[in-house]
Amino acid sequence: MSKMLSVENLSISFRTDEGVITPVQGVTFSVESGRTLGLVGESGSGKSISTKALMQLLPGSAVLGADSRMTYTDKSGKEIALGHMKHGSKELRRIRGGEIGMIFQEPMASFSPVYTIGNQMMEAIMLHRGLKKREAREYAIEMLNKVGISNAAARVDQYPHELSGGMRQRAMIALTLSAGPALLIADEPTTALDVTIQAQVLDLMRDLQRELGMGMIFITHDLGVIAQIADDVAVMYLGTIVERGPAKEVIRNPQHPYTQGLLDAIPSLDHLHDRLKPVPGDIPSPTARPKGCPFHTRCAQAISGTCDVQEPQETSPLPGRAVRCWLHETKSRSAA
Amino acid sequence: MLRFTLERFAGMVVTMLLVSVMVFLIMEIPPGDYADRYAFRKYSGTGVNVTEADIEAIRRDLGLDKPMLLRYFDWIGGIVLRGDFGQAFAFETSVTKVIGDKVWLTAGILFSTLLLTYLVSIPIGIYAAVRRGSAVDYGLTVFSYLGLALPNFLLALVMLYFANRWFGADIGGLFSDQYRDAPWSLAKAWDMAKHLWLPAVVLAWSAVAYQIQTVRATMSDELNKLSVTAARARGVPEMKLLVKYPARLAINPVVSTIGFDVNRIFSELPIVAVVLGLTELGELLLRAYLDLDMNVAGAILLLLTFAIVFMNFVSDLLLAWLDPRIKLGV
Ligand SMILES: Nc1ncnc2c1ncn2[C@@H]1O[C@H](COP(=O)(O)OP(=O)(O)OP(=O)(O)O)[C@@H](O)[C@H]1O
Ligand SMILES: [Mg+2]
Repeated sequence: MSKMLSVENLSISFRTDEGVITPVQGVTFSVESGRTLGLVGESGSGKSISTKALMQLLPGSAVLGADSRMTYTDKSGKEIALGHMKHGSKELRRIRGGEIGMIFQEPMASFSPVYTIGNQMMEAIMLHRGLKKREAREYAIEMLNKVGISNAAARVDQYPHELSGGMRQRAMIALTLSAGPALLIADEPTTALDVTIQAQVLDLMRDLQRELGMGMIFITHDLGVIAQIADDVAVMYLGTIVERGPAKEVIRNPQHPYTQGLLDAIPSLDHLHDRLKPVPGDIPSPTARPKGCPFHTRCAQAISGTCDVQEPQETSPLPGRAVRCWLHETKSRSAA
Repeated sequence: MLRFTLERFAGMVVTMLLVSVMVFLIMEIPPGDYADRYAFRKYSGTGVNVTEADIEAIRRDLGLDKPMLLRYFDWIGGIVLRGDFGQAFAFETSVTKVIGDKVWLTAGILFSTLLLTYLVSIPIGIYAAVRRGSAVDYGLTVFSYLGLALPNFLLALVMLYFANRWFGADIGGLFSDQYRDAPWSLAKAWDMAKHLWLPAVVLAWSAVAYQIQTVRATMSDELNKLSVTAARARGVPEMKLLVKYPARLAINPVVSTIGFDVNRIFSELPIVAVVLGLTELGELLLRAYLDLDMNVAGAILLLLTFAIVFMNFVSDLLLAWLDPRIKLGV
């Protein structure tokens, strides 16, 4: 298995009226082709902007760190440095949609309300598959069928508001996949949907990912969803990845106190009578990032004099795993 | 779309009917009528004693003694069936003759002003929104304030001065001397176009300043929409993307105020016309009012309101075309 995407040391700053803030700092992760990476973290931890950086979709006020590297290997095996492509270049337009597809949280808002579903699908198909109008329409109908939309031949001429929320997200999936991306970024695609529909859409995405052999980055704030869909997981806290590794192992045996807290916060059927234990405390704002380990203000096991002074480096306490935590760094150091 | 068009068209016809009733009533409101006026004009200072009966006779002559309802139907019937706006009392000829050419000239000024306003303000407003915060954007904002602050007639004077210096003396009015009384021809139309740009620029100035800000504001909102980011993430070329997604919705407030713009331009027309030496309807309307020459005033008011109602109809159709949700009733 090969890495299709490798992100190293990604930092993102914004110039704002209150000065420069850096909501993403030193993020490192990778996506293996044909596998799903779950990116999990609380609201504001920087999940969306990290993935938007890959597609150069950040606003003009955003600045990438000088030593940030994002390397993508395209369908033909060519390595491409993301984040530094010329605006309006053909290369960037090919990557956007044709190599990397993106699905957003709000299916209604992701469609333009003034064009039919078919119009927006055909636009993407003609751009990336070089089909003529009529063939593109056929293809759009085929894709709508594939994502389980009944009566696709009629739906293709409908406007987004004529579809229910679940149908709209299915149509959005069809639209994104119709451009034929090798990597799919799904940014909380099910958060806005009802629970039952959430499960259906999740199943659909997993099946399609396997069938098409795509790599996928699945963003969520719910570790429960990660367990269902992801092969690997990266846990993000306040702009850094605090733990990553194979999803099953991380969930079974979390190493970082924050991951443990997130897992404790999942309601479980066996323990319905227990009270939920949300991670205590509030997430600090990116303008007031704590010194040292960003999580120490909420961590029950924080070592004073260490965690609140210096930021821990990434260590590997177990094979295939990576954690940023002083508990492990001191352990591995005393072992050495 | 056909059904929507028919509905709006029916709405337009009903509105025009109501408007014609209102215009007629407005004509009735001023105390006295043209019979009084006529008698006063003709006999004041001559020492002739005018009796009520004399005035009644004049009234009967002019047909002003008939019941109101009948006069309304006479009036509107003549207009709709024969294009006949009745008698222009003060001129002792038909209204059609009096307003004749002025209608076309006024319409020409109105439309060229509208066209110029939109052709300039929409692309610039879009550009300012896309380049938000740049030097160009700030420059345009300054221009907008200038444009809104500068009185029209002052601008007209300044422009007239420079136009005279650069393009020669023959720039005031709507025609060069040799065409003024010539029959309509291609050459005359071209001559008019050469003169039309000056009043159009003067009248469009403040509207351009205003609409640039409107388009810039809505375009900025639209640019932040997720659907625009989503289209960009699908690799739609930027130029096509801007026109197809955000711009299409950003011009909505401009399109919905076309009728309002017609009204505004018409109100601003007289003072600009005086400075630039144009003959148009606005000034005639004022004169007709002072003379209580209600057939002339009524004809001008009716044409203006019809133009506004018609442009509202056009704006409705355009809006529905820009945003299909409107005709689907969402
Ligand atoms: N345009 C911007 N200007 C300034 N700061 C920004 C901008 N966009 C995002 N941020 C900052 O980056 C942080 C991370 O944003 P991001 O949208 O990536 O969070 P997220 O992890 O996706 O959260 P959520 O689960 O709510 O979607 C935010 O807290 C915000 O402070
Ligand atoms: Mg997000």
